[in-house]
Amino acid sequence: MPIEPDQLRTWLAAAGRQDAAAFRSLYDAAAPKLFGFAMRILRKRELAEEALQEGFVSIWHAAPHYEAGLAAPLTWMAAIVRNKALDILRRTDDTVELDHEALRDEYASTPAEASEMSSDARALAACLARLEGLHRLAIGLAFFHDLSHTEVAQRMSLPVGTVKTWIRRGMEKLKFCLSQGGLP
Amino acid sequence: MNTRGNDALRDKLAAEYVLGALRGGARRRFEGWMYSDAALRMLVKEWEQRLLPMHEFVRAQEPPPQVWRNIEMRLHLKPERSSWHFWRGFGLGTASAAVAAALVVAVGLHQLREPSYDLVATLTDQQSQPALLVKADTSKRLLQVHIVGATPVPPDRSLQLWAIPRKGAPRSLGVLGSDGRATFALASGAVGNDVVVLAISLEPRGGSPDPNGPTGPVLYKGPWVRAM
Repeated sequence: MPIEPDQLRTWLAAAGRQDAAAFRSLYDAAAPKLFGFAMRILRKRELAEEALQEGFVSIWHAAPHYEAGLAAPLTWMAAIVRNKALDILRRTDDTVELDHEALRDEYASTPAEASEMSSDARALAACLARLEGLHRLAIGLAFFHDLSHTEVAQRMSLPVGTVKTWIRRGMEKLKFCLSQGGLP
Repeated sequence: MNTRGNDALRDKLAAEYVLGALRGGARRRFEGWMYSDAALRMLVKEWEQRLLPMHEFVRAQEPPPQVWRNIEMRLHLKPERSSWHFWRGFGLGTASAAVAAALVVAVGLHQLREPSYDLVATLTDQQSQPALLVKADTSKRLLQVHIVGATPVPPDRSLQLWAIPRKGAPRSLGVLGSDGRATFALASGAVGNDVVVLAISLEPRGGSPDPNGPTGPVLYKGPWVRAM
């Protein structure tokens, strides 16, 4: 079951008023998703735990400033945890090992567990599915592994100009597709 | 220069910023524009709303219970503590009181001596260009920051210096004055063995509203080097 956005919004608003019990409920509901996300970025358990911890400390402090009209609660929290994970990724010396074949499997197909996802994520998955596989891979590499255009190009053994064009066009197509609600 | 009036470019840059592909100088320039450009911040929010749901494609994983316990402890969410915590805290308190007393004596003994900086750090930007020089005199507990090549800061912003430990929250060492030159008392935890790197973040004027870390982008960083 996807996590109910209205319930998250209620807990987040209460956490903004220093309600520790509501914050705990928010953590219990959202932490597994966000921990999985941090694991995908960092690939090491102890680093992902640190990102999750730092992320929720910031979520507590930032909760009074959350504006429900601007972002879905889970998206807002994911942005905070991702920033923490990327800070850690940039701080650690060793580059995360990426297995090219595994990456293809990860990004070349869109996720199967649609019933687990929010409507926003389902629409995004539908729009990503309409991009070409390699374009999707380039976008996934940049998003999940904090790779620059140049680094994405190196991983994919492609000229950087090609990758830049793919990403730019991919973003334009996604924007248009999402504005149509992800429907074909 | 800025991007006002070029909507297609602004949207493309906002998308690449959120995606993570925008890097180095381009990323920092973009963050600079964001500070003074609410419409650009809104474009970034829109792209976050579009792209961040990608995190839901990843399978959920149960984090270990220790993570919540750490969060709870950091934020003081639990009103009552066990007696073990109380005594542990008390023990640490007396220990630091003793250290503080020793420091007072040490500072008294060294008062006539000029500062002698035994630790230095050169903070560089993402192109590894030196931007600030940080010096510490650990015996006189002094910390001094000099700007050598940093980009000027807008009047409504401040630069804040942090010690980044291997684990846990960054520790604020001070907020720089508008001329960028600053002398601070050397905070405890500034030079410990667990400090991996020093960092300068761009914050609202007066420093980060969050006591547990920067709210703005990290512009410069570098490790301590022992000078003698």
